[in-house]
Amino acid sequence: MAETQFIVTNPAGLHARPAALFVRTAAGFQSSIRVRNLSRDVGREADAKSILSVMTLGIEQGHEISIKAEGPDEAAAVDALHALIDAGFNESDAVSTR
Amino acid sequence: MAVALVIVSHSQQLADGVREIAAQMAGDRVVIRAVGGAADGSLGTNAEAIARAITDADQGDGVLILMDLGSAVLSTETALEMLELNDSPKIRLSNAPLVEGAVVAAIEASVGHTLAEVADAALDAKDMTKLIK
Repeated sequence: MAETQFIVTNPAGLHARPAALFVRTAAGFQSSIRVRNLSRDVGREADAKSILSVMTLGIEQGHEISIKAEGPDEAAAVDALHALIDAGFNESDAVSTR
Repeated sequence: MAVALVIVSHSQQLADGVREIAAQMAGDRVVIRAVGGAADGSLGTNAEAIARAITDADQGDGVLILMDLGSAVLSTETALEMLELNDSPKIRLSNAPLVEGAVVAAIEASVGHTLAEVADAALDAKDMTKLIK
């Protein structure tokens, strides 16, 4: 299992277009990927490949989140999602895996 | 390719607006057609225009149709009868709320999910909460 925890600095948090990009990136990996919002409801876990699931976490700027992946490409998945958020969600084909 | 979407509204402007939002979420991976208004441009729905939009959207991977209110559903059903697609497994009508359903469907379609998966996700948007406490 691969896991990372970090603060979301993106001004829009993880809503709308950034959330869509996040889900699309996650869906490109085989591993199962779970996300939690440690600043809001630690007990609630979302499926990173489902937009509805991710949106229920209410992730805003300044929130600390955890991304956990389990599967053949778990390390790459966690790295890619972390990098995507750190980069501020610049929409480009470079971050899209499909 | 991906599942395509057709947005049916009583207003062309509303249909176009929903398409604009959904398309921004999906990028250019998903075909989304917006159709609205009666034949004379007033508020209403028009089965012939809906039929054209469905034909135009259909790229082979299935089409999910989202409608705003009441008679939009009747006109869409008439359109499918005109196209002899009313029993087609590759066309689904969605009971989802228009904006939430279209956004969720566009994203799910852009991921490459099947018509059944996209339709289920759109329907789940009914229970989506906007006010997260």
